[in-house]
This record gives sequence, C-alpha cells and structure tokens, in this order.
Amino acid sequence: MNAIEIKGLTKRYKDTVAVDGVSLDIRENELFGLLGVNGAGKTTLIKMLACLLAPDGGEGTVMGLSIAKDAPRIKALIGYSTQETAVAKNLSVRENLAFYGSLYGLGREEVAKRTEALIARFSLEKVADKRVGKLSGGYQRKVSIALAIISEPKILFLDEPTLGLDVLARRELWRIIRDIQKNTTVILTTHYLEEAEALSDRVAIMVEGRLLDVDTPRGLIAKTGADSFEDAFIKTVGGGKDA
Amino acid sequence: MHRIWSLAKRNGKEILREPVSLAFLIGLPVVMEILFYYMFHTLTPQFEMRYLAPGLIGFANAFLALFLAILISMDRESAFITRIYTTPVRAYEFILGYFLVAIPLGLCQSAVILLVGGLLESSFFSWSLLLVLPGSLLSIWMFSAVGILFGSVFNAKAVGGISSILITGQSVLSGMWFPLEGLPEGFLTVMGILPFKNISLLLQSIATPASSFEDLWRPFLIVAAYTVACAALSCVLFIRNSKAK
Repeated sequence: MNAIEIKGLTKRYKDTVAVDGVSLDIRENELFGLLGVNGAGKTTLIKMLACLLAPDGGEGTVMGLSIAKDAPRIKALIGYSTQETAVAKNLSVRENLAFYGSLYGLGREEVAKRTEALIARFSLEKVADKRVGKLSGGYQRKVSIALAIISEPKILFLDEPTLGLDVLARRELWRIIRDIQKNTTVILTTHYLEEAEALSDRVAIMVEGRLLDVDTPRGLIAKTGADSFEDAFIKTVGGGKDA
Repeated sequence: MHRIWSLAKRNGKEILREPVSLAFLIGLPVVMEILFYYMFHTLTPQFEMRYLAPGLIGFANAFLALFLAILISMDRESAFITRIYTTPVRAYEFILGYFLVAIPLGLCQSAVILLVGGLLESSFFSWSLLLVLPGSLLSIWMFSAVGILFGSVFNAKAVGGISSILITGQSVLSGMWFPLEGLPEGFLTVMGILPFKNISLLLQSIATPASSFEDLWRPFLIVAAYTVACAALSCVLFIRNSKAK
C-alpha cells in the first residue's frame, strides 16, 4: 500500500507557482528524500501533505485520507519536525515530550511511558530535566524529532533535520532516523546530498516547484551516467548538463 | 478541554520561567503601591488605598498583554505555532490556551495588590474586596485579548514597544496618578471613551462598599465592550496570521 499518493498537486502564491502539478507515490515504511535547491517547493509540498497549507489544485491522500477533506484524521497519523527546532524553550526535555503527548489525547500514564522510552531511545538521559532552550543545536534537533514521534505516527515529515549540525551530531541523527524508519514512513527534505544518498530508499528532485525525477540514488547515478550522486543531482537539475 | 489545559500550562511555564516576568507582573505594582501610598496618601486622597489599589490592579493587568504578546510573537517566529498545527490541536484551543493562562496570573496580581493594600491600610479590608477578584476578570480578559492581538500582528522586536504604549496608556489615562478636576473637557471625554479610566472606575466602585449600581454600570459596559471587541479581533487576526504561509 502507498502511504502517500499525490496527483497534480499545485500551490500558488500570487504570481509564483511554488508547487507545480506534482504527482508522486510514496510507499509505506519507505524513507523518501525530497531534494532541490532553495525555493524548489520541498517545504511547501510537505506542508500541504501535513494539512498546514491548502492546495490550489490537484489532490493528495495520506494513508488513504484526503488532505483536502480529512485534515483532523490525518493530523492524528503524522509527525512533523520543522526546519526550525520549534520547541517550548523554557520547558525541560521531559516536559516538552509530556506536553506534545498530551496534545494527541494520550493518557497521563501512556505519556509518561512514551516520554521515558524516547528519552532512552534518543540518549537524552543527561539533559532530560534541562530546559531545551539551554541545550546545544544537536540536542535540540534530537528533541525536535523525538517530539514528532511521541504520537507513534504512521508518517514522519522531517524538514531539514540536520541543518547546521556538526558531523558527529549529524551522524547521530542519521542513526536515529534509520531506526525510526523501521516501522514508519519517513519523508525527508535536505540540502545535504550525502545525507539523502545515505538514508533514502528513493529520492525526488524538484526545481521551481516541478518534479524532475524520482528514483533510487543508484538509479539516478546510472540514469545520468554520473560518477557520483552529487553529479547526478547537478545533471538532473541542470537538464543533463554538468554545472 | 484536555488540550486547552495542556496549552495553558505550557504558556504559564513559558511566561513564569522568564526571570523578569514575576518582577513586572507582581513585583513592580507592589513596589509602586508601597512607595506611592507612603509618599502621598497623607497629601491627597488620590493615593488612599481605595483608589490606589484598584488603579494598580488595572496597571498590573496591562503587563499580561505584554507577556502574552511576547510569547505569541515568539511562538509565531519560531514556527512553534506552525508545528502545533500539525497535531490535532484546533485554532480555538490554541487561543483559549492563551486566554486561560492569564486568569490565574491576573487573579494572583489582584489578590496580592489587595492584600498588600489591606496590610498598609487596615480600613481598606472589607467584604467587597472579595468581589474585586471576579470584577478584575474583565480587565484581565481585555488585556489578554489585546496581548493576543499584538502578538498576532507584530514581530518579537516590535511587540515590546507597542505593549509599552498600552501600559503607559493604562498608567496615565486611568486617572490614577493625578486629580481629574480641572483637566480640559476634551481630554476628559477621551479618557471616558477609552477603557483605561473605566477599568479603574469599575474596580474602585466594586472595592467601595458604598458604591451604587449607577457607579458600576457605565464603566462595566465600556470595559465589556472593549473586551468583546478585542477578543473577536484577536481571534480573527491570530487565526489569519498563525496559519502556515
């Protein structure tokens, strides 16, 4: 079964077409990378799938539910980690997790159980009672992703999850993302091509709101005749020409 | 209701864990109450506790607008609100979470100012003071609505300055610090139309056992009208400006 099905999805802002008739299927438990340069429409696309933005055209389903008609039911099935860490900075890690859990209507005992499990899974024991605003960027990102999965979502949207992190923090998050993907569909937007190549089962490349190609990283390399995934990306974005 | 309560609890922690918030929400009004009472109450009836304490409650409540506005503008800018919209939380629950947190904060302000007032001037204590607490809810809700409105419209840098104008308005235009006799007619008319003086009058009337219904109804209606208008406008602007773009 497909976790997400999109047909001709479009979003316009005045004179700009942010997402231009994108059609795409994403399978269950797939880790799907959305790639593109700045302004490609990646974030707009996942905001429509997360029911944060209403599309201007086309249609999309998330776990068989329409993004136009079933927003409340979809929101109960998804997790979303924004580009910004977007956490309650004056609350501790534990309080943040409990707060988010309560927003999904989970009982107090269930929230406590999941909170402790996530603290252990994300190795947050040392900072569990510290205010999130006082933590390093790497820890804040970990908390942000932990918050997104406290509801045990079927689909997780990760918008630039490793932006601005050092290499060690990034690798730590890669481990966590791979672990999450074992039983969750993950849609990941990133600017880091090595990240997309290392993590994604398939990737989609977007330019100016349009979907140029969807394939596995290896498939894209083979298709373009490039030596590396980065070259394959550049050739795809540049219409077959090297930069 | 469960989600609204969770949001309100989170909002309360965010506000109270800022080191300056308690200083401004409670510390400053209490210090002013003690200072102005001791300095001036023997010189002019303006600073007798029956006038001073209700006026300071309105002044203190105005800080609720400042802290709510800062919280909401930062929530918008940090994408916190966008993120919460990906959960099952509805917009009305969000707004009620902000309104709800202001109630205990505002009632604490009122209770502390009344208590300190009674300790400074024992004749100030009367049963009618118990009615000031529910009476101050109108002022609390009005300033909460204005705070939500400011936070929905202005960014985190601008919101402090804009809220300061409101607090200054409540301070100067409430008639708390100077006698109104002798002021130009036009100025008095403006003060009568704006909510600031009416908040003071309403709370003073409730706190004074000898007050009549005549003293109460006009300021009550004016403050209630501002509260309803600000609440409606703040809801519309919050929903419009907090949705993802």
